[in-house]
Amino acid sequence: MQPHIEFDSTRLPSLEHGHEFWGWEIPIYLFLGGLVAGLMIAVSVVILRYGKDRVTDAMRLGLIGAPVLLSAGMGALFLDLTLKLHVFRFYMTLRPSAPMSLGSWVLMLVYPVQLLLVLALPWSLLAPRLDAIPQLARVRALAERYMRHLAWAGLAGGVALGVYTGVLLSTTVATPLWSSATLGFLFLASGGSTGVAALMMAERDHESQVLLARADIGLIVIEMFVMGAWIVGLATQGPLHREALAVILTGPYAPAFLGMVVFGGLVVPLTLEALALRGRAMHSRAVPALVLAGGLILRFVIVYAGQEVHFFKA
Amino acid sequence: MRRVMVVDTSRCVGCEACVLACKNENRVPSGKYRDWVVQESRGEFPNLSLEIRSERCNHCSDAHCVSNCPTGSSWYRYDGTVQIERSKCTGCKACIASCPYGARYVNPQEGFVDKCTLCVHRLDRGQPTACQEVCPTSAIVVGDADDPRSEVSVMLRRGTAHVVSPEAATKPNVFYVR
Repeated sequence: MQPHIEFDSTRLPSLEHGHEFWGWEIPIYLFLGGLVAGLMIAVSVVILRYGKDRVTDAMRLGLIGAPVLLSAGMGALFLDLTLKLHVFRFYMTLRPSAPMSLGSWVLMLVYPVQLLLVLALPWSLLAPRLDAIPQLARVRALAERYMRHLAWAGLAGGVALGVYTGVLLSTTVATPLWSSATLGFLFLASGGSTGVAALMMAERDHESQVLLARADIGLIVIEMFVMGAWIVGLATQGPLHREALAVILTGPYAPAFLGMVVFGGLVVPLTLEALALRGRAMHSRAVPALVLAGGLILRFVIVYAGQEVHFFKA
Repeated sequence: MRRVMVVDTSRCVGCEACVLACKNENRVPSGKYRDWVVQESRGEFPNLSLEIRSERCNHCSDAHCVSNCPTGSSWYRYDGTVQIERSKCTGCKACIASCPYGARYVNPQEGFVDKCTLCVHRLDRGQPTACQEVCPTSAIVVGDADDPRSEVSVMLRRGTAHVVSPEAATKPNVFYVR
């Protein structure tokens, strides 16, 4: 039997107002980072497996969206800094032990790959404008020649970016809900799924819609397995981790997590996509919209609920 | 040299003079604390035990705040204490998220992350830490754990030394003895 323990402390009154250090900026950044990772992985896999001719206009639009969305995510991260003028410090050093340092360099390495992919596979409305800039012709020719290398780089960059968004939280130690190595893979699977969902929103070609729906089903199933492993892992780690888990399973964040993430963001889209593939439902943009909303809410729930339970009690 | 703090919980009366002295010495903003006093009571009446601890940053030897700092703003001083280089701090709060003791906070006026420095500015002048100086029962002692003749080494050899949340596996350097 556990002994009865009570705490009182000087700082308890201030802790009762919450020990929240990360706000809305972080889940927005994690969502957009994962989404961009998913976009890069999805298009890279299409290039490597089916060839560049299978890359549709919607996928090319996705390639343009990747750096834009990543910049928006980095903007959110920038807003979270309390000393914004010191942001250059991230690029004055490389600290392999710090995920945030590695991540900031990964972001810098991902941008050139994204831009070369945009040049190699320009969106139909952008292509004539690119042709009008002769200085870009050599770079475009080079990017097209090394398309497969670029796709491999895009795949590696996407995986690194997707895993990083979860590792950023899981290595912080102080928060029991985040202290799980599976979080990186959960965010990678979720990021992959949201990336594919974003492409599905823009896709008009039926054959590609089917391909993307199949990929999304696979990613949602993987995400559900990893999410299960994350929950079981936390539930078996001890009373503190169970207390942290209770916040999302039975506590104030349970409706958002179980209702909007698990049911609305995973189970419903999985069912509808499976029905659409069997021809018993229409391919609808509502399905990827649910996946995107679920992915966004997942990050909000994990970031906010995680800050409800800490190792210290007083 | 390994500078540690040893707090004798059998002497601590929970007067919170250490908290006030620290706030005054280090201009700690309102609502923030570099040190705090915890009263932990265990058991069921009448079989109760009470431990009063003056807590602060544990200046861990394996500090996650240092390893997770993306800019090197959090660093180990030659004496093993964990310090913050304010000019390198971006206010990303990765260190706050990494501290299992909740010892760090954002300075609301200036934006940098702050915490207990073990009053190294005073120790370097040969003075005791502010909390040690004002402690009316001499419950707080700071010294070199690598020196077997130091007061902290003698206290640690009593065999009752423990740390807060050892499961965090950060090798804390603030010890509590009875």
